[in-house]
Amino acid sequence: MKLAPVDYFILFLYFAFVIGIGWRLRSKISTSGEFLTSGHSVPVWITSLAFLAANLGAQELVGMSGNGAKYGIMTAHFYWVGAVPAMIFVGLFMMPFYYGSRARSVPEYLKLRFDEKTRALNAFTFAGMTVFSSGISMYALGLLLHLVLGWDFTRSVLCSAAIVLVYTFLGGLTSAIYNEVLQFFLIVVGFSPLAILAVTKAGGWSGMSARLHTMTLPTGQAGDVMVHSWKYMAHTADNPLGIEVFGLVAGLGFVMSFGYWCTDFLVIQRAMAANSMSASRRTPIIAALPKMMMPFIVIVPGIAALALSQMNVGYSLPMKNGGPDYDQVLTTLMGQFYPAGMLGVGLTGLMASFMSGMAGNVTAFNTVWTYDIYQTHIRPGAPDHHYLMVGKITTFVGVGLSIATAYLAQHYNSINDLLQLVFSFVNAPLFGTFLLGMFWKRTTGHGAFCGLLSGTCAAAFTHGLTLAEGKGAWLANVHEFPSSMAQNFWIAIMAWTTCFVVTILVSLVTSPKPERELVGLVYGVTEIKHEREANWWARPVPIAIGIALLALFLNFYFA
Amino acid sequence: MLDLRIPTGFFFTLTGVILLFMAFFDPNAHAALTDANVNLYCGLSMVAFGAFLLTLAWRASRRHS
Repeated sequence: MKLAPVDYFILFLYFAFVIGIGWRLRSKISTSGEFLTSGHSVPVWITSLAFLAANLGAQELVGMSGNGAKYGIMTAHFYWVGAVPAMIFVGLFMMPFYYGSRARSVPEYLKLRFDEKTRALNAFTFAGMTVFSSGISMYALGLLLHLVLGWDFTRSVLCSAAIVLVYTFLGGLTSAIYNEVLQFFLIVVGFSPLAILAVTKAGGWSGMSARLHTMTLPTGQAGDVMVHSWKYMAHTADNPLGIEVFGLVAGLGFVMSFGYWCTDFLVIQRAMAANSMSASRRTPIIAALPKMMMPFIVIVPGIAALALSQMNVGYSLPMKNGGPDYDQVLTTLMGQFYPAGMLGVGLTGLMASFMSGMAGNVTAFNTVWTYDIYQTHIRPGAPDHHYLMVGKITTFVGVGLSIATAYLAQHYNSINDLLQLVFSFVNAPLFGTFLLGMFWKRTTGHGAFCGLLSGTCAAAFTHGLTLAEGKGAWLANVHEFPSSMAQNFWIAIMAWTTCFVVTILVSLVTSPKPERELVGLVYGVTEIKHEREANWWARPVPIAIGIALLALFLNFYFA
Repeated sequence: MLDLRIPTGFFFTLTGVILLFMAFFDPNAHAALTDANVNLYCGLSMVAFGAFLLTLAWRASRRHS
């Protein structure tokens, strides 16, 4: 693929705007709170889109369209079974405690609810994970730009990291959040025309279905499996995902999605920045609407690519080492459908997604490092301007560590699977801790700590004892899964169950906090204020019901 | 606080105008798999979206003043 001068011009225009937004917001930053938490001042439409965009990294766009070509519409389970219910749940039931407790971060909530050691465990693992995720996504971007455009890996990684560094350094969390909204729009504008063009060329949904019906997938199943999300979910052997209904609903739908959307500070931080309790509750719920539509922009083009490759129109799936290279599906489609000009917009959209994901990681890392690690363990009681300075320095350190991780990540090939694996080690047990912590006042700090630790160990053991696609089984090979995806789901299930059981058992033999210390932190001892907005339809519950019905409809329609 | 609709509106209007310029300057430019004038349709939608955001921001600033 070759870029024209106009494509570069659009890319530079975008760079100028993101840095400009950071520059305009720099004068608003005078305290560490304004730099690291936006001082609870951001309007709800902005926090909602930022909530979504922070999660919408380049590996999501590239990985999900690749998965569209590999697994078909079943990939939408990540959205319609995974993300949406979890986003509704966190908005309705968990934001009242995150926002109401006035905690500045998720680890700080754990400190208020439990104790210092639980906070420290979460803060350190989370800080490590953000650096890891942002490094992986940086690596993915550098590799892709090198493959597709021939750009130098090191130069494109350093250049995009430098831009993220500049605007987060200037305007802190507010700048990251504001730019995430611009980036979100750019992703939609840059990629939805591709979906329309590719699907139209492949004969619409019905044309694609007819085309795929006659083919056989590399995994041996009939191509019809690509256009049904539920029809082939009864047995692991029936679908290319290698997973059945229980593993999907319990592993992805419950443990992994709730573990991510309800406890990951990267996204929760956006909802915490909202300007009122009601706005913070509506943030993830409103974000669920565009989230639900993302499969049409990221997954459907992947399915269309597979259909096009069967049609003799001059398109074939990109190849690597004799097999399809799914990570290049999105960019090859762009090259086949976009002329100079729109190609620049598409490429800018890809850069935007990378930057939104990276800025999300960097700002979350900043806050957790400054408040939960530095202020707590290294230098407590310093004046606020000291923590502002530490926050700013941490921005540099976070970006530097991400770059280092990007080079480490070169050892792994499938980006999405690896990220899921990391999340199942860290996030899956965490949701057990929060569920018990928020809804059962008897849960103790010792219980939470032991549960988290044993849950993470259970995740590691499950990975060590099972094999999938040649990965895992570094202890012994007890069981073999048909796919990495299935293995990840089961790791998550084992980790969550272990954490849940151990937390209950240890809590029962240790003494709980007195109830007066739990006000604002736990259901049952906290008075939940009823929403008093003028219009009933602007309240969190009616919006949540509408979104849930729409998600249900999509599941049935594409079943 | 900065009204985000203003920079976002400007960005999309400008990018849309660039695409429209490309569409008129080289109307036959198209990629391998489509004959449509992609730049024209995308440019028009972007200008419309940008103008919509700018109108919203303009109305909000009038209400405040």
